[in-house]
Amino acid sequence: MRTRSVTALLAAVLTALLLVPATPAAAHNSLQGATPARDARLTAAPTQVTLRFLQRLNPSFTTITVSDAGQRKVPTSAPAVDGVTGTVTIDEPLGNGTYTVAYRVVSRDGHPVQGSYRFTVADPAAPAPSASASAAAPASTGADTAAGAGSASGGPSAVDEPDASGPRAGDDGPPVALLAGGAVAGLLVVAGIALLVARRARARRTDH
Amino acid sequence: MPSTTTRRLPRTAALIGAAVLAASVTACGSSGTESTAPAASGSTSAAASAAAGVLTVRDPWVKAADKGMTAAFATLANDGDTDVTITGVSTDVSRAEIHEMAMTDGKMAMRQKQGGVVVAARSRAALEPGGDHLMLMDLTRPVRAGDQLDITLTFADGRTQTFTAVAKPFTGAQETYAPGHGASPAS
Amino acid sequence: MTGTGAPARRVSRRGLLTGGAMAAGGALAGAGTLAAVRPQGVRPDNPVPVAQVGSAVEPFHGARQSGVTTDPQAHAAFVAFTLRPGTDRAALGRMLRLLSDDAARLTQGRPALADTEPELSVLPARLTVTFGFGPGLYAAAGLDERRPASVAELPAFGIDRLQPRWSGGDLLLQICADDPLTVAHTQRVLVKDSRPFAVVRWVQQGFRRAAGAEPGRTQRNLFGQLDGTANPKPGAPADTAVWVTDGPDWLRDSTTLVVRRISMNLETWDLLGRSDRELAVGRRLDTGAPLTGRTEHDEPDFAALGPDGLTVIPDFSHLTRARVTDDRQKILRRPYNYDGVPTPEGNADSGLVFASYQADIARQFLPVQRRLAERDLLNEWTTPIGSAVFAVPPGCPEGGWIGRQLLG
Repeated sequence: MRTRSVTALLAAVLTALLLVPATPAAAHNSLQGATPARDARLTAAPTQVTLRFLQRLNPSFTTITVSDAGQRKVPTSAPAVDGVTGTVTIDEPLGNGTYTVAYRVVSRDGHPVQGSYRFTVADPAAPAPSASASAAAPASTGADTAAGAGSASGGPSAVDEPDASGPRAGDDGPPVALLAGGAVAGLLVVAGIALLVARRARARRTDH
Repeated sequence: MPSTTTRRLPRTAALIGAAVLAASVTACGSSGTESTAPAASGSTSAAASAAAGVLTVRDPWVKAADKGMTAAFATLANDGDTDVTITGVSTDVSRAEIHEMAMTDGKMAMRQKQGGVVVAARSRAALEPGGDHLMLMDLTRPVRAGDQLDITLTFADGRTQTFTAVAKPFTGAQETYAPGHGASPAS
Repeated sequence: MTGTGAPARRVSRRGLLTGGAMAAGGALAGAGTLAAVRPQGVRPDNPVPVAQVGSAVEPFHGARQSGVTTDPQAHAAFVAFTLRPGTDRAALGRMLRLLSDDAARLTQGRPALADTEPELSVLPARLTVTFGFGPGLYAAAGLDERRPASVAELPAFGIDRLQPRWSGGDLLLQICADDPLTVAHTQRVLVKDSRPFAVVRWVQQGFRRAAGAEPGRTQRNLFGQLDGTANPKPGAPADTAVWVTDGPDWLRDSTTLVVRRISMNLETWDLLGRSDRELAVGRRLDTGAPLTGRTEHDEPDFAALGPDGLTVIPDFSHLTRARVTDDRQKILRRPYNYDGVPTPEGNADSGLVFASYQADIARQFLPVQRRLAERDLLNEWTTPIGSAVFAVPPGCPEGGWIGRQLLG
């Protein structure tokens, strides 16, 4: 939506201008990058999964798992932690199919952070994936489904959003009507509010 | 009356005291069971049962003191049909007197109680701070907190009864002592 | 008696509900209101009706001390003493004779000897006074060879930030009652009688829900967690965990007590969302159910995986790390909350007076403590700031005194 992108732009400008102090959410660990990458479609099966986070990992509180489309756990090593990265080595060659990488780490302030994403192995030389694997692996929805315990119980969860650089579609900015008739000054005010709303919504989602 | 206060305990009285003690006069952990007459105890000698159990001594205690004077307290119950008069008191760490609190020269002070303490039939008398009490004079050794002290009462008819009082640290009821008003030998 | 002995003046469970509901409902009258007032899901197994809280009595005399497996009272004061230099074996005997007598009387609702406020002694409210002997008491008595081996200062843990003002002690009196005035008066009497022998080292006061407010419920700490769900069940399991059943008479029917003062950082805990808190604890905050279960006492399933492959209960959760299944290895948690004065900025001074009873500290407490110190996410918000260990000697019969088997 056009108005939304205007809002986002204004929000970004305001952020830069006002140097709003970091919210608590900024103190939390989050996934910065992964190999294999999220939603990757690999023609050769990986032998390792490496996750890179914003903050140093505590080996005591770092879990990385790989499971197949049937939600069976793929045997891996314990996570090898090196600074901000954690790596598990996959014990057995992966067949073709879709896999879920899930992680549970802890922020410097103790916040548990967990999330997951998927990648697909499609090695032309390998046998086709089993029926159950493809059936249980619907098209990737952006992967960061509410993680582990939270989703299992229907409650909110500590979902980490590695790719979320701004409000998602669901986190609406200000009502369009407010923006429509506004003067420049009014627009700025509204944009400020929008920023706060967006930040708050994001902070809430990240914290809970 | 004061003539009895410093009399040495006869040996029989000491034995009686032991019998009374055996009948659980020990203060500690008694959880308030009354220190009843040893007549209730099958092992008590005839002599003891004849002389002891004049009164039921409940909750006896003595104020811990390093030297000088101190005081002992208890509730005395007379379950009999005749009045009982306590005329004397003795311990093996001091001489002792029966004292009362009374107005002396316009203020409360303690003095020796003339005529002793009468415990009427079917009633009780309280020996307590601020009231009648057993005064221990010129301690020959400290009465330390937690010590158990044998105290022997002498009655008007010549009988005696010994009970054991535990020593408590106690700072309360610091009454003025007015010697000389009670014809005390100590004065 | 064992600590589980029935109080002398118990009344029916039905009576409790009635009493509690009437008290809660105030002016409400009529049986029709009772069902509405009764909280859902609360087991009505607290046997003391609210109207009788003040007069309810726990035993003092018996083979084992009360205040251990006794259903925890609402209020507690843990009073630790340092013995004066001259307090030797004989003086300890005199001291414990006095204190035992005070406890014997006060717990039964009668004034102590020389009680200067006897009116404060008439409502025992399930008062118990539990005696604990620190390592220094055995040394002062010249009886160190009789000290249970595990009654020694705990090893240092990396998570500890111990303060001397909350640590150690030669003698401990754990004073518990359902009425705070009763606790205060009892503490006053006992401290007065201890003065010739010892000085007060520290006092830690704590509280739980008011008597009858949440009958049968596990207590909640100030994080909102149910605290003590994993306790051995009353009766044989708790007895197995808690009591020493053989040995010389100064050990038989004894137990040990670890008192840890756990500061709980409510400010950083506030930053956690509810699901994060539950991940740290491994249980739901509302029901206390494990994240894999529905009710508080459901067995946790540590192997259960969520759809993404992560265990539903994190392996760093407090539940996972504190888990013990063998009654012989369990500890009996009997904690109380503390809540000090906030700073001018409003930061809380809150936490737990964590009291753990077990037959053997080395066999039961230390393994759990090591696991928690090594990896328990809850450590992020909790800090041990005090630590003390005591042997809890056997009880005494009428006419006896606590510690006589050791010192007499």
